[in-house]
Amino acid sequence: MIEYLSNPVFWIGLGQIIIVNIVLSGDNAVVIALAARSLPPHQQKQAIIWGSVAAIVMRVILTILAVEMLKMPYLKLVGAVLLFWIAVQLLVPGEDGEDGIKSGGNLWTAIRTILIADLVMSLDNVIGVAAAAKGDNVLLMLGLAISIPLIIFGSTIILKLMDRYPMIITGGAALLGWVAGEMLITDPILVDWIAANMSWMHIHVPLAPLVSEISWAQILGAALVIVAGKVMVARAGHAEEKVVDLAADEQRSK
Amino acid sequence: MLKILVPVDGSKNCLGAVELLIRQNTLYKESPEIHLLNVQHPFPGTVRGVREEAEKFHREEGVKALVAARKLLDDAGMKYQHHISVGEAAETIIQYVREKKLDEVVMCTRGMGAVANMLMGSVANKVLHLADVPVVLVK
Repeated sequence: MIEYLSNPVFWIGLGQIIIVNIVLSGDNAVVIALAARSLPPHQQKQAIIWGSVAAIVMRVILTILAVEMLKMPYLKLVGAVLLFWIAVQLLVPGEDGEDGIKSGGNLWTAIRTILIADLVMSLDNVIGVAAAAKGDNVLLMLGLAISIPLIIFGSTIILKLMDRYPMIITGGAALLGWVAGEMLITDPILVDWIAANMSWMHIHVPLAPLVSEISWAQILGAALVIVAGKVMVARAGHAEEKVVDLAADEQRSK
Repeated sequence: MLKILVPVDGSKNCLGAVELLIRQNTLYKESPEIHLLNVQHPFPGTVRGVREEAEKFHREEGVKALVAARKLLDDAGMKYQHHISVGEAAETIIQYVREKKLDEVVMCTRGMGAVANMLMGSVANKVLHLADVPVVLVK
């Protein structure tokens, strides 16, 4: 046990999982917090509790599934691509044309919104954590356990955090790209091929005992996410014709 | 009449621009048309299904951010228009300048994200780089 805990690789893995969790629980937390805001105060707590319970249950189930599936060939590849896509999505502002819950909706509408959102958004968290755990089941369970209080207690805090320090999201997205890159080249189908044909992929870094080896896949993964994110934001920005003014209806010059 | 955009982020550091305009108001032949703007950072694209609530949240945060600047202008008896937008700060500022055909930007160099902006006031930097109109930076 002591050996386990004193292994720096474990702590790096744990660090990665914590960051991945914060970043990818953020969207769940935001949806839960925002959905609850539309409700009268005494129902808000209920919505947050039920939404959190649903998110947790879904994560447990999906994590167990994910562990099994990631052992199968090609799935790490698919997972890596999905994770990469999720990472880029984090950097692009949300769609405008979405129909959200209406203000003053009832408890059940809010819970339904949360449940649907939970399913989609727990998936990204599970893939991210499974990728960062790199087959270590202890890390995986820890990652799962950590995400739970984050959702329950974290929603309002995460909302404010992400608002004030958007760099957290950029950093998190880059980390996801990094982890996706690593997952890609460890897919059973690709491992041997890469060892044979792309031995330059693995870089030996004299940072022992912290890390002894990183790969271009990780670096490129992180870099590509950032670049793709910027490109998509720029494209979306140029498409915008009208200015958005949320204060437009209360304009008055004194 | 000069039309001036004053981006405001709600932090105490960032009232210098407004204070400058108040101090220098008498120097203008005709009082400039002042546009206060607060830009809210949008939620990541993975957040779905809560558009209306998100907008409400952004509007409320925007109102909070504008309070101090508005009070200064109100107390000085100066007219202004106020706007709240969502998006990347520098790009949105530039967008407003173009759309509303404003003549000048007067902004602070550092605001709330003083640490996050890593010493240089990255929003101010970017606006400086992208703007077609004069930009006045106030420390």
